[in-house]
Amino acid sequence: MDIATLDHICRLSKLNFTEEEQQKALAEMSDIIALMDTIKEYDITYDDTKDHNEIRYADLREDIPAPSFPTEKLQQNTSPRDNCYVVPKMME
Amino acid sequence: MDLKNITVKELRSKLDAKEIGAREAAALFLDEIKKNDDKVLSYITVTGDEAMKTADAAQKRIDAGDPAPLTGIPLALKDNLCTDGIRTTCSSRMLGDFVPPYSATAVEKLAAQDYVILGKVSMDEFAMGGSTQTSAFAKTKNPYDTERVPGGSSGGSAAAVAAGFCAAALGSDTGGSIRQPASFCGVTGLKPTYGRVSRYGLVAFASSLDQIGPIARTAEDCGIILNAIAGHDPKDATSKDVPFTDFNEKLGQSISGMRIAIPKEFYGDAVDEEVRTAVMNAAHEYEKMGAELVDCSISTLKYAVQAYYLISSAEAASNLSRYDGIKYGLRGEGHSFDEMIRDSRNRGFGAEVKRRILLGNYALSSGYYDAYYRKALALKQQIISEYNAVFENADVILTPTAPSVAYKIGVQDNDPVKMYTADICTVTVNIAGLPAINTTCGYDRDGMPIGMSIVGRRFDESTIIQTADAFEKTFSPVRCTL
Repeated sequence: MDIATLDHICRLSKLNFTEEEQQKALAEMSDIIALMDTIKEYDITYDDTKDHNEIRYADLREDIPAPSFPTEKLQQNTSPRDNCYVVPKMME
Repeated sequence: MDLKNITVKELRSKLDAKEIGAREAAALFLDEIKKNDDKVLSYITVTGDEAMKTADAAQKRIDAGDPAPLTGIPLALKDNLCTDGIRTTCSSRMLGDFVPPYSATAVEKLAAQDYVILGKVSMDEFAMGGSTQTSAFAKTKNPYDTERVPGGSSGGSAAAVAAGFCAAALGSDTGGSIRQPASFCGVTGLKPTYGRVSRYGLVAFASSLDQIGPIARTAEDCGIILNAIAGHDPKDATSKDVPFTDFNEKLGQSISGMRIAIPKEFYGDAVDEEVRTAVMNAAHEYEKMGAELVDCSISTLKYAVQAYYLISSAEAASNLSRYDGIKYGLRGEGHSFDEMIRDSRNRGFGAEVKRRILLGNYALSSGYYDAYYRKALALKQQIISEYNAVFENADVILTPTAPSVAYKIGVQDNDPVKMYTADICTVTVNIAGLPAINTTCGYDRDGMPIGMSIVGRRFDESTIIQTADAFEKTFSPVRCTL
């Protein structure tokens, strides 16, 4: 893995690293990817038609409207203002 | 009365015979936690008031002559099981103050039996790790030797059971997180078939692999708890409607004629000799009981850790993308929406969680998806095929649970690859969605417990409980002293 790839993956992951952290992460991720690369030795192809943990529509519950949790309970882990979650501006 | 080594079954008898009250039993465990948990650090949250409240409700039910198997039994819960009104941290700064608005279905099912909640126990952060040393709040120690790890990720659950801080506990198992800490702490841990127990309210790590299960002192106790928490749940579409009556229904039945498969790849040089010897001694004990040992092969084991880490990290990257600090969880700072989210995640997640997210997003990203993620899914199919082939000729499979006994704290902290490859004995069971149980089969030269795993066919938990119980009845465990 190189710095450009790590930067790209960090963006996808919504994570930031300082320069020192980045060097450490690069070394660790390179070791981990080297381990993962050994999987390429194994000659096998994924068969989309043979999934063993499929969820069938029959397993899904009926979509029946029902009362949900009280708003104040859902908002107990934050500091809402007028029942809204307050975040920094998304657009200037 | 000393309850430190009591089983759930024994405590049930004492409660029903009024030899002890539910409140007294809860108080004895809470006292033990207060006196000794500073040496082990198994609990993140002790729920003393809630324990007494639930004990009173349990006593009423016992007095009315209508106790369920877990009525009045004091249990600990892994801190990734949502508990309505009780802090659920996942051992992460991200959820350090999180109080769920609802309880997990497994917890609701325990509550329906009027169990007694003692508290929430530590784990590796977001269940990612095998040592409980990635916990942001309680780096749990092994009660057999407090300089060693208790295993993980359900290290708090296993250590609390081993130390006598609860009658039993719930854990969760994504790649060995119930069985490996049970092995390290000398207790019994059961990972049910994928779909047997609802995952609703279990904080998601890798949704196709996660499963909730019990950690207790005996296989029979695991069966009692599994009876309570198993079953289809409309709130979890991956839970299966497979009927069961009693997972302990085969207890005491002879295992004569049972075919026990010994996959050669699990007994190679990667596994310590003392561990191999102890597990093979147990295999020969089964032979003496009339079982037949069958040689077999799981040739894909060589690539199993890689497949497991690619699949689980890909799912983790997706599942953990919900932590943005907006509706719950640690809220970071920033001038823009994006800065705020990044700061929340930077400050909220620990190093191992960040590594898994990076690996998962790498494996899923354009240009790498086929080479890593789809290849891992292909291996998953091959691993399932290999297990199916073994079960055509065997009733259960016997393997070591871990390549070694519990290791010293700090030994693997800075080596993720070493940490990952230590999962070699457990991950295939999750990949194949099979049930497996760990029980103690010996001790090494330092007195540390050695565990073996008995793996069964899908939804055949009763046979692995029967098999583990048959061995436990011949074995004298050495309980730890703090």
